[in-house]
Amino acid sequence: MNESMPSFSFKQTAAHLFLIGFIALVTVPFFLVLSASFRAGHFAPNQLIPEQVSTEHWRFVLGLPFEEIADPATGETRTVRAAVPPLRWLWNSVKVSVTASLGILLLSGTAAYAFARMRFAGKEPILKGLLILQMFPLVLALVAFYVILDFLGGWLPALGLNTHPGLILIYLGGISLFIWMIKGYFETIPPSMEESAAIDGATPFQTFWRILLPISAPIFAVVFILSFIGYMSEYPVASVVLQTSDQWTLAVGAHSFLYEQEKLWGRFAALAVLSGVPITVIFLLCQRWVVSGLAAGGIKE
Amino acid sequence: MNARSLPPPFRFLISALALAPALWISFVLYQAGHAVTGLAVLLVVCTGIHVYTTARNPAWRYLFPGLLGFGLFVILPLVYTVGISFTRFDSSHLLSFERVRADLLTETRRTGPEVFAHRLLEREDGLFRARFTDTVQPERKYLSEPFSLTPRFAGIDGPGPVPLHPALADDPLPGRLLDLPEITRRGLYLPLREAAFSLPDGRALAVADLRHFAPQDRLWEERTDGALVNRLDGRVIRPDFNVGRHVDEHGEAVGFGFRTWAGLENYRKIVADPRIRSPFLRIFVWTVVFAGISVAATFALGLLLAVLLQWKELRGRHVYRTLLILPYAVPAVLSILIFQGLFNQEFGAVNELLRFLFGAAPDWNTNPTMARAMVLLVNLWLGYPYMMLICTGMLQSIPGDIYEASAIDGSGPVKNLVYITLPMILPPLLPLLIASFAFNFNNFNLIHLLTLGEPAMVGGGIAGETDILVTYTFSLAFRDSGSNYALASAIATILFVIVGALAWLNLKLSTRRARPLPR
Repeated sequence: MNESMPSFSFKQTAAHLFLIGFIALVTVPFFLVLSASFRAGHFAPNQLIPEQVSTEHWRFVLGLPFEEIADPATGETRTVRAAVPPLRWLWNSVKVSVTASLGILLLSGTAAYAFARMRFAGKEPILKGLLILQMFPLVLALVAFYVILDFLGGWLPALGLNTHPGLILIYLGGISLFIWMIKGYFETIPPSMEESAAIDGATPFQTFWRILLPISAPIFAVVFILSFIGYMSEYPVASVVLQTSDQWTLAVGAHSFLYEQEKLWGRFAALAVLSGVPITVIFLLCQRWVVSGLAAGGIKE
Repeated sequence: MNARSLPPPFRFLISALALAPALWISFVLYQAGHAVTGLAVLLVVCTGIHVYTTARNPAWRYLFPGLLGFGLFVILPLVYTVGISFTRFDSSHLLSFERVRADLLTETRRTGPEVFAHRLLEREDGLFRARFTDTVQPERKYLSEPFSLTPRFAGIDGPGPVPLHPALADDPLPGRLLDLPEITRRGLYLPLREAAFSLPDGRALAVADLRHFAPQDRLWEERTDGALVNRLDGRVIRPDFNVGRHVDEHGEAVGFGFRTWAGLENYRKIVADPRIRSPFLRIFVWTVVFAGISVAATFALGLLLAVLLQWKELRGRHVYRTLLILPYAVPAVLSILIFQGLFNQEFGAVNELLRFLFGAAPDWNTNPTMARAMVLLVNLWLGYPYMMLICTGMLQSIPGDIYEASAIDGSGPVKNLVYITLPMILPPLLPLLIASFAFNFNNFNLIHLLTLGEPAMVGGGIAGETDILVTYTFSLAFRDSGSNYALASAIATILFVIVGALAWLNLKLSTRRARPLPR
């Protein structure tokens, strides 16, 4: 291991070739989508360099008006503009995911504190029950979610169907994995500091807020990022709860371009590039935290 | 937060402030017929007050919000879904018994050929009277006794039908005539529609169309034993709670079906009904195969890449690593939809390339085997970075001197992998592999967004060849015209038992060992 001089052995070259080939294969879809977003008309992504370059899809996605040929025979044009700018869906997604993730932090952080540091009846069964019950697939509770939100909306329209607060409420149920992660982290912190604070007269809340939380910032970052990414990709519940296009999230909106009868690949591609790039960059920037969270069993949805 | 340290008067005040709106909400709910829900709200608020003011153990204060959210949006939907699985609830048994009954009881029959035009009159004191004129014999007129109408309220105030009395054409009008625009503007049209009047001969007069009333009464007469008697032909129908319909003496169904308890019928169907059982079994096998191969393939590829990136002499490892993570960093929904386009049979990039290279284009969309291969390929693309990341973490924890010792023994890389690496990393990774299996077992997004379960399974009804159980269940409930919520819920319950058991097994495995902790 001492010699750090690179030796261009056969093995090294083979490894480089394999990795470069593999990465080319794996990343080519991204270039195809980028190309499709600049290609005139709607074609399934299949060209690395578009034949006919056009910015129509980008204008549509950004909500800008553009001219489109309405009748190829006469060359007559019409102005097209998205009724709901698809960029709005990205904003809706960010709003819902950030709020839900903050709520998750609050709910799972406090509960994890109790599980890690306090004694109470039924601790083990509750902790295990949380994890097992969470295995119930969210998709299959859709009828129940619909009924609950429909009922809530009858009394508090702001929490009903087709509202973001309603969707966020449902998302707040997904806490058990994060409780386990945060609890695991808390348990690696020696309780001696909190004990001495308690001797000095600090209440449990003060030790939690002033001592435990500041040192646990990394795990909260992990939980926030994992839950944010998970909710950015959540499709089934959002597609049932959100009914009008101005309320849609990115996942629902992107899918709406690809209806069975009419697949608007160009618009979808532009939206995918526009919204996929910032999320990807955030993910890569936070990579270190995400990776540490994965070892604790966090699986991206 | 720590209300126990507050002096008792404050504690009392806080409790009262929280309890007052809760009491009001429960009362409103109770009045609206949601007694159980009202009680539940009251119970939750009281528990909350107890937890935050008088409970001795502070732990519950930290648990309460989380457990409440979990209870409301995980346990409640779960219980509801499991509950539905024991009922008959589909597109032909959609309404509650009460609704179906009420619908039957609003059906009417005509009791005479006459049709009356009507006018509404308003008196000085705010009460109304209605005047009816026979459309065939205009000299036949009736005038109602005074009655009241509540604007925009559908339903008549006061007791029973309003009596009518014969009137003469030249009688002075006992009030001001209202025209239709004024009636609709003041919101009187709706309550007037619901009003009932009784002719002097005792027959009831009710609304027949937009501007006319006609003598009619309820078609079904309710008997005390719950049976309904048809006033036209004397047929007797009774609710049959076994089939969820009203049926007559000959077993013929009348009216809409209603939701009923069905016991284990849905589960029996899955086991015994060949139309359900054969697609269910095929899909079950494919689900297990899909999840198993997905885990094995992503693990193998992820481990290979992780081992390669562990190689210290390799330059640019960090760049490679970042590029290799890309598929994991892009939101899965977007990448799955992108692959839907790439694998398009006619125009997709994959087939364009294969046609160019080999002159062959697999039928990814129509051939069951190829469609399944495509699903697995896409899932490999989506899933290998996760495995690579966790394998990298595990490999770093293996002390390097083990490999040095084995190198002295003359072992090659394959021997190292089989005899050192795998035995060292598999046990701690097992819980994560099981979790990944459970995740793929219910990987709804992949199948729903990539293939929608297609191609269709021959003789499988709504089932498709790439459907896994969770998407098949979704289709049964939301895509099939039959909307069989009950059957879907039964399958959902079975799915939950399977993945719940996996989670339990996982807990057993991981609590026996120290869990790998993020640090």
